Amino acid sequence: MGRYVIRRLGQMVVVLFGATVILFCCLFVLPGDPVGSLGGDKARDPAVVEQLRERYGLNDPLPVQYGNFVKNLAQGDLGEDYTQRRPVTEVLGPKLVNTAQLALAAIVLDIAIGLLAGLIAALFRYSFWDVLITLLTTMAVGFPSFVIGMVLQKVFVIQLEWVPLISDGTMKSLILPAFTLAILDAALVARLMRGTMLEVLRADYVKTAVAKGLPRRTVLLKHVMRNSIIPVVTYLGISFGSLLGGALITEAIFNWDGIGLALVQAVQQQNNPIIIGVVSFGVGVFVLLNLIVDLLYAVLDPRIRLA
Amino acid sequence: MRRTSAQCIAGALVVAVAATACGAGEDAQTAKAGGHITVVLGEPRHGLVGQETAETEGAEVLHALFTGLVTYDTKTSEPKLAIAESVDTTDSKTWTIRIKDGFTFHNGEKVDAQSFVRAWNWGANQENTAEAMGFFSKIEGSQELAPGKGRTPTAKELRGLKVIDDRTFTVTLKAPFSQFRTMLGYDAFYPLPKAFEADPKGFGQAPIGNGPFRMDGAWEHHEQIKVKKYDKYPAEGRAKLDSVTFKIYDDLDAAYRDLHKNAVQITDKLPVSALDKVSEEFGDRYIYKPEASVGYIGLPLEANPAAFGKAGIRKAISMAIDREAICKKIFRGTRKPADDFISPIVPGYRRGALGEAGTYNPTKAKALFEQAGGIPGNKLELAYNDDGGHKEWIEAVAAQLRANLGLDVSAKPYQSAGALIDDVKSQEFKGAFRMGWAMDYPAAENYLRPVFSKEAIANGSNFGRYASEEFESVLAAADRATDPAESLTLYQQADDIVIRDLPYIPVFTYMSAVAYSKTVKNVGVDAQGRMDLAHVELN
Repeated sequence: MGRYVIRRLGQMVVVLFGATVILFCCLFVLPGDPVGSLGGDKARDPAVVEQLRERYGLNDPLPVQYGNFVKNLAQGDLGEDYTQRRPVTEVLGPKLVNTAQLALAAIVLDIAIGLLAGLIAALFRYSFWDVLITLLTTMAVGFPSFVIGMVLQKVFVIQLEWVPLISDGTMKSLILPAFTLAILDAALVARLMRGTMLEVLRADYVKTAVAKGLPRRTVLLKHVMRNSIIPVVTYLGISFGSLLGGALITEAIFNWDGIGLALVQAVQQQNNPIIIGVVSFGVGVFVLLNLIVDLLYAVLDPRIRLA
Repeated sequence: MRRTSAQCIAGALVVAVAATACGAGEDAQTAKAGGHITVVLGEPRHGLVGQETAETEGAEVLHALFTGLVTYDTKTSEPKLAIAESVDTTDSKTWTIRIKDGFTFHNGEKVDAQSFVRAWNWGANQENTAEAMGFFSKIEGSQELAPGKGRTPTAKELRGLKVIDDRTFTVTLKAPFSQFRTMLGYDAFYPLPKAFEADPKGFGQAPIGNGPFRMDGAWEHHEQIKVKKYDKYPAEGRAKLDSVTFKIYDDLDAAYRDLHKNAVQITDKLPVSALDKVSEEFGDRYIYKPEASVGYIGLPLEANPAAFGKAGIRKAISMAIDREAICKKIFRGTRKPADDFISPIVPGYRRGALGEAGTYNPTKAKALFEQAGGIPGNKLELAYNDDGGHKEWIEAVAAQLRANLGLDVSAKPYQSAGALIDDVKSQEFKGAFRMGWAMDYPAAENYLRPVFSKEAIANGSNFGRYASEEFESVLAAADRATDPAESLTLYQQADDIVIRDLPYIPVFTYMSAVAYSKTVKNVGVDAQGRMDLAHVELN
């Protein structure tokens, strides 16, 4: 197990390397000098531009720039934000907390709604509730999250004024963005849960368990739930990464001051250090979560042995 | 991203909201009792240091924290002495500046001649990469501190600055410049205390200024900047309010809603969705006046003389644009048709100076266009940057040129203004392009030199590479003049040359967008669009 984890961490380094190299190349081909203008139509003084390019190492060849990036990254330094001229880690730190808060809230909602809906739909197959859940999840999957987000905003913020328009960090202002972020995954989880549960309910070992006279509760919790939850866990692990992607849109709609909003703004301003910071972080989280999911398999399914 | 949320909210802003002060009314109540207001701000770009600030948001805060040598009248934009007791010259080259007694920095340090010299030396040094470095280039010795790309400064102090005594210093310019006094109101010329030198970076997060307000804690990024009244400020000009919070908004719709609820008292940034109704909703609490920015269609004179070399073609293009329709239909009156290269807010503006060139006349335009022989291939590309709300008006211009000149015009979007400028500068792109300019200080000169002079080709906004000896020499004569009236007449002559040559085609002037709640009065904005917070009072 230990060796397995080490090997996987080694792979993570390779993935991070690949992702950042691609990112560097992409940013390099973008037109426009990231420090060339003051914003808008005003050009900076050429001498100042030169000084800034020198300071940020933009005059070095791309491989050297990349080397410096890796060297600094190893020391936990992501460079300096071009527009604010503060360390990227300092700029992104508080935003990361905000995004984590949002993602966590979304995941909790996601699991709660998804599992419950899937469970009900599977247990009462073809009932009114099953049909309703199927219908709602289809809709949730069909609508892009920005539509859902904006409709929610219109109803609850503008018309009912239940929650503030700008997030002020309170639980109240967290609800809508978290819900928007969770809704798609919750729908997918519900459908996945329903499908696997129906399968498991028909499995021989469940029939055996029922035949042995085990209480229904025990059968459901110990045998059915535990076995049908494996694909769901996989899915949730992967979806955490896409949650980060969804956070871009959600944070932009609700002005949630997280790394997603920071990334959107950084792209508009060609603020490369922030872009690199957020993306590297995203890749890191994604890879790490996949590892955790794989490790969780072993816990959930004794048949899986990691070596 | 702002636009998406704006669309969503646009329909829902109702006047009724204004009447109900809900949960957010807490601010308003403290305002009545203790003299506190909240105003709208966007996140400033970096350190709050005058020499480092070349954008509107930082300038807004600095205007409360600092007082410069001169300030601008909020009505006429004329420079008035502020900290300076006098700014004198006999030849427009050597200027003697005397400072009033009694001004101190917020840490108690006296504002003396040295505090200005210190600040300007810092700003002029290219190693400090101050955004406003270019403003010191007129001062003698600046090339030693900013020798240019690839070289290192050979001096730390500007030769042209001499401290005479505690309260007096002289500035020697490289060449006479009659507008130097006006220039002094710009952020770049604020003083700095000794404390700045120890830690310039930290200073920018919680600046120690000399203005009517002082910092109350440090800048809380993306949240707010709090300032409170500076009690030791000279009685005349001391702030009326006890404190002001600059609340930082990412979303202008949210800011506008908060204004309705009186959670915010003043905004000088209105969302697009509000433009339709703001004057009806706020009446005389909506300040409707032109502001510093101008929008042009730029023409690459040097890169494409075959198409744009003839004055007749340029004039025809100008006359084929229906400015009135663009301002009314697309900008709903928040822009005003341009009728002079000089903005209406600065002294020297002449109504209708553009004359025939600025008057919409499709028939005459077509005739002129044909008479001049048209454009080779009868094709014109019109570039714009897609990130700044320019698409609609550029496409309108394209459609008008198509209809009125029979020209095959296509609009070409660029990802950003920077990318557009790169292509125009490298002459990769040879079509017409969208361009804009906002003045740095309210002088007619500032609408001419930075955009149309030869010097502005390398270091400014003359992207079409217009070069006219006649223009240069009139401009230089205007700079040399010592009599303000004479220099202004000369700048207007230079303006006339640009109007005749039309290197850029001015299309519109922006209008300011200030609105305030019922609880405050005496709200004014200066030519730079900065709120004059020291005079604001509660009702």
